[in-house]
Amino acid sequence: MKRNKIIGMALALVLALGTLAGCGGTNGGSANSGGSTPAENNTAGADGNSQAPITLKWALWDWEATAYNQPLIDAYREANPHVTIEYVDLGSTDYMTMLSTQLSGGADLDILTIKDIPGYANLVKQNHLEPLKNFIQEQSIDASKYGGTVEQILVGDELYALPFRSDFWLIYYNKDLFDKAGVTYPTNDMTLEQYDELARKMTSGSGAEKVYGAHYHTWRSAVQLFGILDGKQTILDGKYEFLKPTYERILKQQEDGIVMDYATLKTSSTHYSGVFYNSSVAMMNMGSWFIATQIEKVKSGESQATNWGIVKYPHPEGVEPGTTLGTITSLAVNQKSKNKEQALDFLKFVTGEEGAAVIASTGTIPAIKTDEVINSISSIDGFPADDNSKEALITAKTYLEMPMHEKSADIEVILNEVHDGIMTKNTDIDKGLEDMGKRVQQILNN
Amino acid sequence: MVESSSKKMVKTGMLVLAYILLAAVVLCMLVPYIWMLSSSLKLNKDVFTFPMQWIPQQPRWENYVDIWTKIPLGTFIYNTAKLSVIVTVLQLLTSSFAAYAFSKLQFKGKNILFLGYIATIAIPWQAYMVPQFIMMRSLGLNNTHMAIILLQAFSAFGVFLMRQFYQGIPNELCEAARIDGLSEYGIWGKIMLPLSKPALSTLTIFTFVTTWNDFLGPMIYLTKTELKTIQIGLRMFISQYSAEYGLIMAASVISIIPVLIVFLLLQKYFVQGVASSGIKG
Amino acid sequence: MQNEIRIGTDQVHKAGKSRTLKDHLIAYSFIAPNFIGFALFTLVPMIFAFVLAFVKWDGANPMEFTGLHNFIRLAQDTTFHKALWNTVVYTIGVVPLTMACALGLAILLNQKVFGRNTMRTIFFFPYVASLVAVAAVWNFIFSPTMGPVNNILHAITGVPLEELPRWAADKDWAMFTVVLFTVWKNMGYYMVIYLAGLQGVNPELYEAAELDGANAWKRFRNVTIPQLAPTTFFVLMILVINSFKVYDIFINLFAGADNQLNDATRVLVYQIYNTAFRSLDYGYASAMAIVLFLLVLGVTIVQFRGEKKYGQ
Repeated sequence: MKRNKIIGMALALVLALGTLAGCGGTNGGSANSGGSTPAENNTAGADGNSQAPITLKWALWDWEATAYNQPLIDAYREANPHVTIEYVDLGSTDYMTMLSTQLSGGADLDILTIKDIPGYANLVKQNHLEPLKNFIQEQSIDASKYGGTVEQILVGDELYALPFRSDFWLIYYNKDLFDKAGVTYPTNDMTLEQYDELARKMTSGSGAEKVYGAHYHTWRSAVQLFGILDGKQTILDGKYEFLKPTYERILKQQEDGIVMDYATLKTSSTHYSGVFYNSSVAMMNMGSWFIATQIEKVKSGESQATNWGIVKYPHPEGVEPGTTLGTITSLAVNQKSKNKEQALDFLKFVTGEEGAAVIASTGTIPAIKTDEVINSISSIDGFPADDNSKEALITAKTYLEMPMHEKSADIEVILNEVHDGIMTKNTDIDKGLEDMGKRVQQILNN
Repeated sequence: MVESSSKKMVKTGMLVLAYILLAAVVLCMLVPYIWMLSSSLKLNKDVFTFPMQWIPQQPRWENYVDIWTKIPLGTFIYNTAKLSVIVTVLQLLTSSFAAYAFSKLQFKGKNILFLGYIATIAIPWQAYMVPQFIMMRSLGLNNTHMAIILLQAFSAFGVFLMRQFYQGIPNELCEAARIDGLSEYGIWGKIMLPLSKPALSTLTIFTFVTTWNDFLGPMIYLTKTELKTIQIGLRMFISQYSAEYGLIMAASVISIIPVLIVFLLLQKYFVQGVASSGIKG
Repeated sequence: MQNEIRIGTDQVHKAGKSRTLKDHLIAYSFIAPNFIGFALFTLVPMIFAFVLAFVKWDGANPMEFTGLHNFIRLAQDTTFHKALWNTVVYTIGVVPLTMACALGLAILLNQKVFGRNTMRTIFFFPYVASLVAVAAVWNFIFSPTMGPVNNILHAITGVPLEELPRWAADKDWAMFTVVLFTVWKNMGYYMVIYLAGLQGVNPELYEAAELDGANAWKRFRNVTIPQLAPTTFFVLMILVINSFKVYDIFINLFAGADNQLNDATRVLVYQIYNTAFRSLDYGYASAMAIVLFLLVLGVTIVQFRGEKKYGQ
């Protein structure tokens, strides 16, 4: 990390000499040094609870579209009025890449939102994140409150982030379409076969009137990961024959017109929310983040699927209902932050119970999922009234979409690529999975 | 001259064919814009529905209001315009200056320098953007427009373009001016610049468009909302869980307008340039 | 008019040896403003990136010198080879087609054609428009089963929809689709360069040729083409370089929600980007960039020679 600065300095020197040599001409004076004047007014933060004003910079994405950011800041500032929190919106596309670039350049960010596991693994490798194990012990934070998610992001026995959001996958369904077809609603205990059967039953019509029984978004996790729900398999070991039945089932559904064609979805940039709003699909597997969006869009009138519900994710035979896929969003602290203590304090607040309450009040699922939190979400105005929908929020076992692994960024790339190949039918299943295995093995052995 | 009637027939035939071809191509070119315009008046969920709806049943003019309120589009347009103008002016000055030397003056290492110059165009920005970012940061230039200006204003591309056009201007012209006692700077300012209006217009358009549409540069260097540019603004409608295509299209329509104005203003220069203004000498 | 196309050495001879230091300084003073800016803000980081090719670096931790290891890895990396191959195929597809279209349009729109100003603007349109938007439109229009293109093809030829090309979604047609898209998007840009170039053609040459009884084709062959040589050289170079560097177009046309390309559409810069930012292997990514640089340098030298020869 030191080296980095030296390189920067060297480059700067060359540049300064050059400027002296007579480039000139372009000094606009708008240059406002951000990071080059370190350690001057920030030392105050070091001695803990002193009330000198502190500004924390929080890296995140989609500031406008995310409901809980501002309330979290407001709630924190109520107890800590001397702290100002500035957000730095790095955009959601390629957020983790952007974050890594900013940190490599020495950006003065304090709090970092971690969007996905591969990106997290990379930041840990780059030594950008402050280790939290000691902090957790000191503050006696109870890791078991996080429903097993903390264990899944351990690196060795060290931890570099704490989850504050924990989304999991559900089935969303359109009650009106089921009523019209005279089919009973899906339940909280469906096997994959039953789900397939139900989807077939719910498919009807053609042309603009066509209703698809189910819908898989173009993400890898929406299809591929049915294969890991039995808990016997992992997507990290370089053997993928177990995914064959899953791909066979989904491709068969696609061939039979039960679900929309992957290639068409991809090329037409079709977003899963649109087809659900338009009542073109009866059921859809999607993450719990869609709950808040769907509620909001029903209110605004954009979603015509006004009568809807959720049930637990379908599971393989012999597995406990409520077994599902999950994805966590966590907070970390920049190792080079000049306000580490305050940043850690903010992290503790957001990832703790108070933060969870704030997050839940906006319809988002926090990482600490107490009964209270679940009640708070299911009592939001617009949440489906039936008992099944409320019960669907209780999960049994959650498998991360991408488990923590040193090479998870590289593995993710391969899994995505082969998924795309199989789903567009450019590769047949056997060859695709074989190729997937070979390439992952290569990465693992490297 | 006598048997020209059959020739004329062929000529008219060719002309008609050419027009039909042109019309077809023009249509191909326009289809996406018509679609863009029409989607800019739709709800997001209706943008990608089959069969295509060319005229929205209920045009949503609110989209054109929403884009200004959902994101600070005005600020973004101002920032982008500021950057584009400054970069373009600098680019024009320094490129035409350097190109004059490469084209009309003799000096040691000219060919090597020029060859190296061009070859660097080939290095993708992605390969050196991190070292560049580290350097700019250590100069305290991140989150300043200056960073973008410094990155964009001195390109090898501009020099290359100008040099190629200068190659077409006869050396005799420069020689004559030298004999008349004009300095090299004078030749550049009084002879080359006026003669290279088509090239300068071309470079203006390219630089302007490139800066206007640049995404990755501003994305990395400008993380403060008040400094961001229009292309970043466009992507703000694409969030983690949704993509507001109706708004993207509306903002795209707006963002094209300034560039088209620049194009239209300069268009006349690359149709009546050097040829009419005196290369005949 | 012929000499101007030549560059460098031969003119030095003609001009004699009386070059003074002052002349040199004047020449350098012309180059300095651009070159210094370029050298500091672009060349220095570039050189730094070159050095990276010989180390292992993750963008943050200390570097580790590895010698030629990165290049040895490149030689065995089949994914990289695929990317290289795809890039070359793409370049071979795009360059001649774009040049032909751009030159054709420029010549056409340099005549007194009805509505030529409007048409010039329309042809330039795609280049100006935001890539995100036009790629979405394009993909939508070429969508396999529902898109208008395939439905029209189906209506005309009677071939069932399932058997028609699936364009961007089809590994055998993906390259064709992206070449078509690129030509469509960029030909207006090169048309403008050609239009500007055409203004430099001395009309007297046409008159003279006409007096000699040369027909349209001969005039094109013997006046337009040689007169446009510097422009053509420029267009060719920029086209080749831009094709080798292609990235955005592929991402916007092919990459879905996960921002990824597959074997049929993987290109060099995508590979560089992924290696650097997803795998945090900056050294290896730099090695790839050097290969790209050397490739383009090779092509540049060949064309440079060609330009000289053509000029004589």
